[in-house]
Amino acid sequence: MHAEQILPKNPISQGMAQAMNPNNKVSLDKEHCCLEVKDLNLFYGSTQALKSVNMKIPVKRATAFIGPSGCGKSTLLRCFNRLNDLIDVCRVQGEITLDGENIYDSKVDVAELRRKVGMVFQKPNPFPKSIFDNIAFGLRLKGIRNKKHLSEVVEKSLKGAALWDEVKDRLHESALGLSGGQQQRLVIARAIAIEPNVILLDEPCSALDPISTSKIEELIYYLKESYTIVIVTHNMQQAARVSDFTAYMYLGELIEYRDTITMFTNPREKTTEEYITGRFG
Amino acid sequence: MTHLTQELDRLNMKVMQMVVQTEQALSKTVNAFSRMDADLAQEVVDHDKEINELEVLIDQLCLRLLALEQPVARDLRFILGAMRLSKDLERIGDESANISDATIFLSLHPPLDFYDQIQIMGQKAYDMLQEAIIAFSSPDTDRAINVCRMDFEVDEINSKVLKLSIEHMSMNSGAVEQGVQSINIARRFERVADLATNIAETTMFIVQGTSIKHSCQFDDRV
Repeated sequence: MHAEQILPKNPISQGMAQAMNPNNKVSLDKEHCCLEVKDLNLFYGSTQALKSVNMKIPVKRATAFIGPSGCGKSTLLRCFNRLNDLIDVCRVQGEITLDGENIYDSKVDVAELRRKVGMVFQKPNPFPKSIFDNIAFGLRLKGIRNKKHLSEVVEKSLKGAALWDEVKDRLHESALGLSGGQQQRLVIARAIAIEPNVILLDEPCSALDPISTSKIEELIYYLKESYTIVIVTHNMQQAARVSDFTAYMYLGELIEYRDTITMFTNPREKTTEEYITGRFG
Repeated sequence: MTHLTQELDRLNMKVMQMVVQTEQALSKTVNAFSRMDADLAQEVVDHDKEINELEVLIDQLCLRLLALEQPVARDLRFILGAMRLSKDLERIGDESANISDATIFLSLHPPLDFYDQIQIMGQKAYDMLQEAIIAFSSPDTDRAINVCRMDFEVDEINSKVLKLSIEHMSMNSGAVEQGVQSINIARRFERVADLATNIAETTMFIVQGTSIKHSCQFDDRV
């Protein structure tokens, strides 16, 4: 019997096997990056939440942000689609570029930015509409009314989010009738329907059971073939399983940022090691 | 102290227990050969099962820690290191028992001229193991590299013993079995030296996360 017949067809284990091969080890220096953070400082009133953060996010890779609560990882994530703009007391200094363009430039169309940089939150937030209408929502906002085109995009997006087989016979039922895990995949399908470049995931599995978590993790593995993924997670094993690169943050500073294999086997910074081994944080 | 730290301490304690028992077994083996002391040699053979039992126990502890704690970074390296160490220490225990077995046979015959060379070889293999143990328990990477450096000397004496044994056997057909057993012992001491080198390599892996496996003797720092 050949090895491939024995090994389970688990994309994450296949991915890990590829990643553990020294020839396949990724390196930030060799990556093409779409997002670049330059000297970013962020204040909530007088409290500084991010301190001189500099980093690049590689294209079509999964990058995980880890760190103790309050370290600024979600704040940094929300900078990538300017969601922090909605907070009155929030003030941002520095620059974030998306494909070379400063997203904090006054000329930037924030709605268009959020189309390019989609976001999925901790708690699934489907609209109180049908499954079909949830996915078609963004397209209709753009003025697309063609039913055939909408149907094609809905099907493609649901397949892309690994949900099609479970919902194809009840597309016009309420999305609120789906389970938590299905709702989260629906939200991901809604995000990819408008063809973003980047998908931000803010603790997407923290409200899900282990089976649903596993499905989302497998989905992330496939999604990064087409999209740039940035994920905030409190679950370090999840960061290790799904990401190619990991950033460790503490008290608003980016302490260490490197390929995930090195990060979890031989981190350079003592504070990173203490955090990931559970001796601190 | 977290329960993971306590479990890792327990694992470290078992590894150190195995280290001590293996070091004692090799020390007795070298002494038994030097003095052609069959009783001491028999003691080594009899105690080998205790080392084997520790290997099984360490394997179980490592398996449990990997399955339940999902360790990372230095914890993960230490657990992988402990698994490699226990395997190498168990092999040293086996080699000691086999050398002691051969010593019991040789003690029944008059000594050959080149036994002093095998004795030097055994002492050097023992010195390497001691150095590797200090490097691991300190931990001290300089001493670990020093172990790799020492391996050359043992290899050289092994070649010398092989040559002397063949010469002796070609001239004394009645002492062929003694000659073969001498080669056997020398080869096993040489293997012990290699295993001590493995322990030094594992120490480097645990401490620095770098692998010098198979390249230890060619390392620039050596």
